[in-house]
Amino acid sequence: MALVGAILVVISKNPVHSVLWLIVVFMAISGHYILLNAQFLAIVNLIVYAGAIMVLFLFVFMLMNLNADTEPQKNKWLKIAGVVAGGSLLLVFVAALKNADMKNQLAVMNKGEIGLIHNLGMALFQDYVVPFEISSVLFLSAMVGVVVIGKKD
Amino acid sequence: MNAIIISAVWGIIMMFSGVFTSKGSVVRNTAVLGLVLLLVGNYLDLIGYHFFPVDVHKMLFFDEFGLLANTVIFGSTLIFVLLSGRDIENIAPRMPVAECFALVFFVLCGVSLVTTFNTLLMLFLGIEIISIPLYILTGSDKRNLKSNEASLKYFLMGCFSTGLMLLGIALLYGASPTGSFSIDELGIGRVNLSALYMAGLLLLLVAMGFKVSAAPFHFWTPDVYDGAPTVFTSFMATIVKAGIFIGFIRLFNETFGDSQSKWQLFVAIITATTLFIGNITAVFQQSVKRMLAYSSIAQAGFMLLALLSINGLARDGILLYAAAYSLATIGVFAILIKMKDYTFEGFNGLAKHHPLLAATCTIFLLSLAGIPLTAGFFAKYYMLASVVETGHYLWLVIFAVLCAAVSVYYYFRVIQAMYFKDGDAQTMELRPAFKGLLVVVAALIILLGVFPQLLLDKLNTLIYTW
Repeated sequence: MALVGAILVVISKNPVHSVLWLIVVFMAISGHYILLNAQFLAIVNLIVYAGAIMVLFLFVFMLMNLNADTEPQKNKWLKIAGVVAGGSLLLVFVAALKNADMKNQLAVMNKGEIGLIHNLGMALFQDYVVPFEISSVLFLSAMVGVVVIGKKD
Repeated sequence: MNAIIISAVWGIIMMFSGVFTSKGSVVRNTAVLGLVLLLVGNYLDLIGYHFFPVDVHKMLFFDEFGLLANTVIFGSTLIFVLLSGRDIENIAPRMPVAECFALVFFVLCGVSLVTTFNTLLMLFLGIEIISIPLYILTGSDKRNLKSNEASLKYFLMGCFSTGLMLLGIALLYGASPTGSFSIDELGIGRVNLSALYMAGLLLLLVAMGFKVSAAPFHFWTPDVYDGAPTVFTSFMATIVKAGIFIGFIRLFNETFGDSQSKWQLFVAIITATTLFIGNITAVFQQSVKRMLAYSSIAQAGFMLLALLSINGLARDGILLYAAAYSLATIGVFAILIKMKDYTFEGFNGLAKHHPLLAATCTIFLLSLAGIPLTAGFFAKYYMLASVVETGHYLWLVIFAVLCAAVSVYYYFRVIQAMYFKDGDAQTMELRPAFKGLLVVVAALIILLGVFPQLLLDKLNTLIYTW
């Protein structure tokens, strides 16, 4: 479902449809998270991505009023260059990682409860309390910045 | 920890100072007070007295190297605010000065995280706390299209490099046997590298290289430095860059020190390109501000030499280099802000009208070029000596010296314009206090150039502990 959704995101002509398919992708990914026993991550993924960010996307699309006329001319050579560049990157990654022996390192969870909110909270407020507090400085500075930029002269 | 807490809290205080007073001088003096407090707090940290005993769970590690780097950085910020603080008001009418200072303090908080981080998580947070206020400071001249463009460009490129950095951190996390962000655990006994580890290392190298504007990741630098208000260009090019470099070296020393042989050649190539591109393109610039932007790339190339050869001399040298480079560049930019015309012609005949300004400017430029008797000479000397000590990469040393010779050309173009060309260089109104401060900074540079040990003696103890 995630793969089908992702392909449809790319091939649908109408950007609004793309966004809707993207929501389907996020739903499917959240389902994967639940299967991995990570409920908190699943819910957060739904709320943040499928909820907030997609609404933002839709707003932007409607404000920009995209349609076929306003689309920039696509150069054929540009497309070919893009394919070549992307293919080279893929080749490099395949070449670099083909010897990587990952199978025996695949995740082995003890009890499979690591993704539960209880454990997350314990980790966040015991081991990771310093970064947690410090990230508040980050958000504060971002907010101050928004005010500086958005304030009327 | 003192410095991190004080800078965060003082950022909030600065923010509210704008509510209670609209007078620029009050805001500025509050900022100066905060910086002095920061220096004192940092010094107390250095001698082992902490205001708040915080259990950081090994997220941060306060060693002398990081704390001394903090001292250098806070000191240069103090000089920066004293010299150019007044010009923040002049960027645009009704400039929100208090908020700008608040952002400056948040950046300092980020810098003090980056100099003392012990996990990749804290490094990432620190880098972000540095970057986000900088995007805003770059675009703070809202009516100026160039400033807007620079801000947007910086934001987009910065976000991209942050993404690369996160990917690198994630790969390293996956490669670590115990699943840990701690730079010590990541670094232990790594000689044969797994593909994941190598990919993570490279991505981190690229992302950090972007942040310090090393070629070939430097393309944002000239546009952003040129577009940003000159006051903030000065801040970005010196204090922030020095801070990130300290973090860069810390990261590669602690985490990737054992696998040095694998990435050394890569860093050497980056260094050589940075030196080459920075110096050669600086030659062709017509505007002094843009020339300084390219020269800051070239100077980053010199600082990368310390990354290449992580040893005692390099650690010594990077602190001296940070101090020398920051002082000189802040000085040059402070003079540049006062000029009406930013091109080389704008400096014509400055020596006749303002001999003091021209003389101090000459000292700053000489220091940047690395002429003996100025701090820049010993800074460059330490960098080169550290590479020689490793025994390899002698070609890079020779190349760096050649590049330094090229840099002399474009720095001397300004000096030549000031002393040997006729013209009437237009400046804004200069206050006696400003001139006095310039003399003090120039004296500091010469003092460091004659007795670099003043700064480095403090470090000697720390080299032995290492």
